[in-house]
This record gives sequence, structure tokens and C-alpha cells, in this order.
Amino acid sequence: MNATVAMQMTGADFLKLRKRWVTLIWSLVLTLLPLLLYFIISAAQHSSSPQEHAPAGGVNGFQDSLRILALFFGPLAAILVGSDAGAGDSTAGVFRDLVVTGRSRVALFATRVPAALALTWLIVIFAYALSIVGTFAFADGSPTPSFADVLNGFGFTLLSTGVVCAIAVGLASLTTSRPATLVALIGWQLVASPILTNISSLGSARKLVLREAIAHFSPVNLDGGGGHGPARGGAVTMGSATAIVVMLVWLVVFLALGAWRTRTMDA
Amino acid sequence: MDTTTDGAGAQTPAIQTSGLTKRFGERAAIDGVDLFVPRGVAFGFLGPNGAGKTTLIRTLLGLTHASAGTMHMLGHPVPAERDQALQRVGAIVEEPRFHMHLTGRENLRVVAAVRGPEVAARIEPALDRVGLSDRATDKVKSYSMGMRQRLGVARCLLADPLLLILDEPTNGLDPAGIQEFREMIRAMVEQEGRTVFVSSHLLDEVEKTCDAAAIVDRGKVVVQGAMAELAAGGKPRHELLLNVDASERALSILQGSDLVAEATAGGEGELRVVLVGEAASAAAVNAMLVGAGVGVMRLEPVRHSLEQRFLEITTRLEGHSDRTEVHA
Repeated sequence: MNATVAMQMTGADFLKLRKRWVTLIWSLVLTLLPLLLYFIISAAQHSSSPQEHAPAGGVNGFQDSLRILALFFGPLAAILVGSDAGAGDSTAGVFRDLVVTGRSRVALFATRVPAALALTWLIVIFAYALSIVGTFAFADGSPTPSFADVLNGFGFTLLSTGVVCAIAVGLASLTTSRPATLVALIGWQLVASPILTNISSLGSARKLVLREAIAHFSPVNLDGGGGHGPARGGAVTMGSATAIVVMLVWLVVFLALGAWRTRTMDA
Repeated sequence: MDTTTDGAGAQTPAIQTSGLTKRFGERAAIDGVDLFVPRGVAFGFLGPNGAGKTTLIRTLLGLTHASAGTMHMLGHPVPAERDQALQRVGAIVEEPRFHMHLTGRENLRVVAAVRGPEVAARIEPALDRVGLSDRATDKVKSYSMGMRQRLGVARCLLADPLLLILDEPTNGLDPAGIQEFREMIRAMVEQEGRTVFVSSHLLDEVEKTCDAAAIVDRGKVVVQGAMAELAAGGKPRHELLLNVDASERALSILQGSDLVAEATAGGEGELRVVLVGEAASAAAVNAMLVGAGVGVMRLEPVRHSLEQRFLEITTRLEGHSDRTEVHA
């Protein structure tokens, strides 16, 4: 497969995803609406009682909006899009029609990943832009994040959503079931992971939790304490190398499983 | 569209299998199938539901793995060179499926992107060929079953196929749709020189559409060959049914004639006559009997139907007796 065909196939996968209005609208709603609500409610509270409530924007607003977007609703949108990309062909029953073109099954799998990333990041960029607008528009004289913080936050948001999206593509390709993927990943990433992180008796095994490895790269304190990484309950601290290895293992395992299943399953 | 070359030699059969077997656990869905599909014909793959038709197609196309045996498509051994073979194969397996949220044209764009950069140019001609140009911007979920079948054919045409494999293509179509589909298949064979492999459980459909066929039952190819030979039971048979006023005398005359290979008497003056060949015409038999003073009230060529032959074969199978192999 040459670069032209790879680009064409990725474009075709992107077309399938962006035309699925339900997924697209829900992803936009899930990323934009919480941020909008956060800024509106915080601004209303601040205006009604400036002494009691900090401004909605500024550094505090930036940190809160980054938590909302990068750790919760961004990955949720990434799971929606990734699961659609991974299981869409099988669910629609067209996978066999793609196989009978003679194109390598691994290639069919591989082009789903950049297509899903492209759509996820497009959505996340909109949401991040909204969070930056809110951060500066509602600062009300309080300190605002530096340009470097804004850039780092952007990179972190792309990393957080990108890793989860790629894993969703792999898992959905493995299960060929979108509902199963949604339940498994949302359950793990947004419910089980925070619980496991707070069980201090698990010790350093908590470093294997993907959410913690991702959070390590946050430019701001995502748990309200100081320094890098989450600190609520038993703090999970790890080195950057460990965090990178943990993320890579998660990515490699799920992408390999997705590729294996796509290559070997009866179509 | 170029339908003349495939780089694997046009003299090779479109499909050839030897001892092809696919097992699901202990059960053999296809069992030692030897199939020969020549080029440039509409070939029927006929059998009752559950006979193994779709499994054979899925195995050929690489949608599932064979348990044993060898396969060639367009001269390429598969699975070793399946990718090359499939570049000039179009297939509809079971019912044609699409991304319902995309338009007809967008669905073709998806497949064209997978097939290669040059294929996008075939989208509009393919839509035009199947008469869907004016509905190409509608979402597929608004299409009728017949339109989806036609869009499935358009998807096949993106490959500029030397071989089309259509699995039960007339399922769900109304009579007009069936007729239209039949004409499309014949045009692809006669005007465009393609080979069309049609699986069906409809005897009448295969008989009207195909030049040759294989009958499959319980995973085995029972008989295959040209349509006329299949219907006649292995070789072309020229038979007549007669009603005469003096059956015993007529029988005696016929049994002594060089024109007649076999003559048997039925009830009430009816005779069944097998002629020695095509040259021995009904008119000559009539003249011979009338010349001998036998009154001929009825003389009718027997038309062998595939249905009759199919029932004979399946009846034998149910009795667990021998099977017939007829190769064209």
C-alpha cells in the first residue's frame, strides 16, 4: 500500500465517521456543553459574590476546564468516535465487501486509526478553543495562564484524547461491537480507573492505570494539589519514562489485538 | 471497460477448485468440491438452502479459511495470490450491505478508495450502468432492495471485473426487478465478456440466466456442466412423445429403425422415443410411421428441464445411492 492509497483510505474512513451525525453531535455536545456550563455557572457565581467565588476564567478556570476536557469529556468523545471507527464496518456488514477488494486486512484496520484521531482532535480543538476563550474572557483581572501553559495544555489534551481514541479503535476492532466497547472503555476509564487510583493498598500497581500515566503529562495539577499528577487519596507518582512505557503498552496491546482480529476473523 | 486481460492468462478457468473442504467442527459445510467454471459464461451454482453455496463463495473470496483443498481464481492460486485475483473480481455475498448513513455515491467512494487511485474514475460509469445516477446523492437507507442490489453490482463494477460472483442476487426482488437483473447478467456476459458466477436456490432462475451450472447438495457438487447436458442427464438427449393408433406395430417399426436408439410403450397408445442424434428429426420419424400406415395423433419433442433433473438427483441423494459427475 503506497502513501496515496493510505491517504485515500484514511479519507474514506474519515468520511464514514464525519457523516455519522449522531456520533458527531453527541461528541460535540459532550465536549462543549460541560465547558459552557462550567463557565456560565462560575461566572454567575462570581458576579453574584466576587469575594466568595473566584473568577470563572484565569488560571483557576484554565485548570478546571482542562480537567473537564482532558480527563473526562474529551476521552468520552474519543471513545465514541474510536469505537465507531473500529466497529463501524463490521456493524454495517460492509467489512466483507472491503475484504473482497483484495486490500490487506491490516491496511483496512490501520487507516481507521488516523481517521478516528482526525475527527476526535477536530472536536477537541473546538472545545479547547472554547476553554481558552472562557479562560481569558472571564479572568476578571485575575492571573491568566502563560502562552506556554496554553500550548502545553493543548498538547496534553491531544495526548489524552488521542491515546484513548486509538485504544478505542483497537478494542472495537477486537470486539466488533460498538456497545461492548463503549461500556468497557467508559466503565474502565471513567469509573474503574479513579476508584483503583484511590485504593492505596494497590501501591505501585496503580501506575499501570492508563489514566494515571496520561495524567502524569498534565501541565497543571489535575487533582487540585501541587506538582505533577493526581494527588487525591493515595498519590500515584511515576517517572516520565514509566508513564510513556505504560501508555505505549496500552496502545500496542490494543492496536495489536485489533489488527490481529481484523486480519483473522471470518468476514 | 477493459475486460480482456488479467495478466494471468485468459485461457485459465475463471474458478477451479479441487477437493475444497470447509468444516465447522465435525460438520463439513463444503466437502471435497471439484468445481470448474469456464470463462465468459454465466455459471449457476444451484442448490437448496443450506447446501453450502455461500460457504463456498466465502471460502473463495477469503472471508473464511478453507479446511482442505486447492482453489484458483482467474488463474491465480488462492489464498497465495488472492489479492491479485481479487483485483479483477467483484462480489456480492449474501445481501448487499452498505453504510446506510452514506449516499450511494459515497459508498462507492469508500470502496474505490480501498481499491486504488485509478478506481474513482469508474464510479460515475458504474452508477450509470446500473441506472442509479439520479439517486446517487440519496442516502442508501432510502433505497429499495432492488436499488441496493443494483448498487451492489455498481460496487462490483468498480473492479472492472473479469469475474462477478453474485450470491442469490434476485432474493427480495419483484418480478420486474428479477427480469431486469437477468438481463443485466446476460449483457455482462454477452456484451462485455465477463464471467458471472450466480449462486441460487431458484432452478428457474438459473435455467433462464445461465449457460452452465453445478448442482450442489449437502456440501458436495453433485453434477456440473452445460445447461442442456445437465437437464438431459449428462448428454444431450433428443426424445419424442407420440400417440398413435397402432402402438404395437409402431413400436416394432421404431425399434427396427436406424433413427431410433430406444423406443418404449406407455399406456393408451403412447410411445416414448429416444432418437440416435440431432440429425434424426421428428419429421423423419413421423414420415416413417405414416408411410407404414400408422396414424400419428400426437408428436411432441420432450423438453428436459433442469428442475426435473434436479429432482432426480436429489431423490437419488436422499436414497443414498450413487452420484453423477458430468463435466462440460
